[in-house]
Amino acid sequence: MAVSVLGMARHIADELKEGLSGTGVRSAARGLRRLLDADFVALADLSGRAVWAPDEPPFYADANALVERVLHSENREGRSPLVAVPLHVDHELAGVLVVAGASRRAAVREASKWVVEALERGRLEASAEQAAQAELRALRAEISPHFVYNALTVIAALVSSEPDRSRELMLDFADYIRYSLAKHGEYTTVADEFHAIETYLALQRAVLGDRLQVQVRVAPEVLAVALPYLVLQPLVENAVRHGIEPRTGTGHVQVRGEAEGNDCVISVEDDGLGMDPALAEEILAGRGGSDSVGLANVDRRLRSVYGPWYGLVVETATGEGTRVVVRIPRFQPGVMPG
Amino acid sequence: MSAKIWALSGAFAVIIATFYIGWRSSRTASTAQDFLVARRTVRSRRNAAAVSGEYLSAASFLGVAGLVLKDGADALWYPIGFTAGYLALMLFVAAPLRRSGAYTLPDFCEARLGSRALRGLAAVFVVFIGILYVVPQLQLAGQALANILPVPTWVGATVVTVVVIVNVFGGGMRAITVVQAFQYWLKLFAIAAPTFVMCLLFIGNGGLRDGQATTLTEALPPTFTQNTEIDVRTPVLLRVEDPVWLAARGETDGEPAMGTVYWGPGTHEVAAGTTLHFSKGSSVPVVAGAPADNESWLAPASNGGDLFSTYSLILALFLGTMGLPHVLVRFYTNPDGRAARRTTLHVLLLLSLFYLFPIMLGALSRLYVPELLVTGQTDAAVLNLPHSIAPGILGDILGAVLTAGAFAAFLSTSSGLVVSVSGVLSTDVLRGRVRDFRFATAVAGGVPLALAIAVRQTDISLTVGMSFALAASTFCPILLLGVWWRKLTWVGAAAGMIVGGGLVLASLVINTISNLTGGWAPSVFSQPAIITVPAAFLTVILVSKATPAKIPADVAQIRLRMHAPDNLGLTRDRAVASFGTAEERSRLADGRHRKE
Repeated sequence: MAVSVLGMARHIADELKEGLSGTGVRSAARGLRRLLDADFVALADLSGRAVWAPDEPPFYADANALVERVLHSENREGRSPLVAVPLHVDHELAGVLVVAGASRRAAVREASKWVVEALERGRLEASAEQAAQAELRALRAEISPHFVYNALTVIAALVSSEPDRSRELMLDFADYIRYSLAKHGEYTTVADEFHAIETYLALQRAVLGDRLQVQVRVAPEVLAVALPYLVLQPLVENAVRHGIEPRTGTGHVQVRGEAEGNDCVISVEDDGLGMDPALAEEILAGRGGSDSVGLANVDRRLRSVYGPWYGLVVETATGEGTRVVVRIPRFQPGVMPG
Repeated sequence: MSAKIWALSGAFAVIIATFYIGWRSSRTASTAQDFLVARRTVRSRRNAAAVSGEYLSAASFLGVAGLVLKDGADALWYPIGFTAGYLALMLFVAAPLRRSGAYTLPDFCEARLGSRALRGLAAVFVVFIGILYVVPQLQLAGQALANILPVPTWVGATVVTVVVIVNVFGGGMRAITVVQAFQYWLKLFAIAAPTFVMCLLFIGNGGLRDGQATTLTEALPPTFTQNTEIDVRTPVLLRVEDPVWLAARGETDGEPAMGTVYWGPGTHEVAAGTTLHFSKGSSVPVVAGAPADNESWLAPASNGGDLFSTYSLILALFLGTMGLPHVLVRFYTNPDGRAARRTTLHVLLLLSLFYLFPIMLGALSRLYVPELLVTGQTDAAVLNLPHSIAPGILGDILGAVLTAGAFAAFLSTSSGLVVSVSGVLSTDVLRGRVRDFRFATAVAGGVPLALAIAVRQTDISLTVGMSFALAASTFCPILLLGVWWRKLTWVGAAAGMIVGGGLVLASLVINTISNLTGGWAPSVFSQPAIITVPAAFLTVILVSKATPAKIPADVAQIRLRMHAPDNLGLTRDRAVASFGTAEERSRLADGRHRKE
């Protein structure tokens, strides 16, 4: 008994995820009817349009008038066997629940509260999604001013001595800015992401000269894999910024993409200073200070798109360099470039 | 003995080369200066070679020649069908499938119909098809190794399985496109060069030695070109057209035989362990069911019942190719739908070129190694032919090259299938990560190995034909209707898959039982596609019609993505927005260093 009631309640909550104007309303009303053991149950949104279960009753007109009254008074209206209860989500009227039949007053009240909670949950989920989207947009715009300044300075220095090279770097810079700032969909391909990395590394090589040694290798099998925008570039920027820039002498950065079973594995490796593994853990958990927001952000975005299995893996130790591994499935429903 | 060393070193060289190329292209690093070439896409031609390399299995390399030797013109449908499957793939599926973004067949089911349940079912059938395809490869590998070394057949199967698994574990399949493209050219060379040499020898010797052999157009059975001793290892039923005198030691026609035996026209039974001795010039008895004389061998559809199974075979091969798990994953490497279609066109050319040679070898075998017709082990024709045509060192070298090609065929197809099957196993069945992928690889290699050792070997092309029939009856309806029919539902797709796949598996079981108990099952059970494919299509359509509520809500969007031409911009805009159009780029960069 308890199992079936709980199951029904869960079903109702699921169907109401999209709100009272969504596609699951009829099914939710059907569930409520069975739960309350009522003759007819309806759910109406703010427009006053009621969705009935099992179908429209003979007293349809009366009930509609009742719904209108509730929408104006925001109070419970009617009396058994036909009652209409307002649904307040976050202290704001969101719709009306109509119950016709010999249901107990307390049962109707509890049912309306349950519906309200389901609607609230749906709203929270939607806003969490929006927050994630906003985060993605925020990350996209994050270009280090320091890097822009350095790159432009180097290009300026080369204009008279090596005009051809400076022209090429200028084009790389244009590509880089275009990719980072352009309006585009949520997902791109590994090929494009690697192209962006290459333009970035070309500029960094101009800035850092021989101090930066770079290897980029990607297996052709994974070039077409779709992934969220700007997942790899922050990792490479991190490798250069924290692994190479702060120290003297030559540093190596290695980027590789390979196929492994049905997954694509991309690793970014530097032989720089490395860090304490505990610190890396802090950074991934988002407690590493404003300097390393990028890594935690990438980790969170990967998890939200591909599920908890697919976060970043950071292998590091003090003085031993850092290796960051991204693992993404070659196919994930809904993840398409463009 | 030297012949064996030659052949063994040929096989060994192929294994080493496969390891080396996989290892090199996945490990070595480019120099720091040329890192901008990383964003290279795979050219259609190389990708096509990779597809062909993975596709040309032992069934193509050894089996086709064997079937031509035995069945003549009727067997030509195998190479034709193996190739024509790509025509169907190119016309109906390649480009939309690529644009759908799916990597494996279960991926396509989920992307198009949005059902996890269907995905699981598809995964099960991928595993079935994969195993059904690997088993005969391993059996033939066992037979090929037993030809070279005095070892039981399970050794060769185990060696190939171990090499494949070790290679996958070691990461050698990470750069799989390069490895498989190499395998295609290796196989083409390994079959083309010996064929040319043997044809030259054949013509140079003035045709048939001593003019004693039956020519291929005469209405007479083939004849032995030298005194021949044959060990019969499995019981066979032979048909004799011309009366023949022979010496036998063992048991024939149910009676112990020792010394000279006379066989009149009719069928004769030979028990296992019997040794037959034929003298030069006597005519060759042929396993029952195959055309006995050369004229009917050369004529298509020599008996009426064949027509039905021929059509069935054509249907299975034509529609089955698109449902093979290891073929589709290769198409994912193409950058867009147009490239996928171009790749398929190249595959058609490469396969057509390759299949010329097994057919010629089959015809030569009819002249030079007719003794295989007596034992029925015609799959060995390609490997036995060189010694028969050119005894001595030349034959040894040719044999080594052919053995190397055969091992390339075992390895490439088995690796491709094992990787595909274990990918599906680890994502859909085991739901886990790297360790699980290794575990899945071990399972995907181990299970077929166990089956290969346990199950009795039949003609490889027949078994492979069965896995084509399974693919044609399960995935073909879903691919074709999924791409072209708006009203497909996941319920219909699942029902069709169960009906089609169930019928094929049932007939496989019935056929196997019948083979073990006297071959009573009619030929439709060995070639069931002509019944199962329409049944599967019909089920999908009817059940989909009955469940219109299950049509996915985003069907219009998915179909737009699959069918909108690439240069209309639905998938290319993005690149233009991020990097500019091709003309814009080349104008700016003067074609330097931006290798697109």
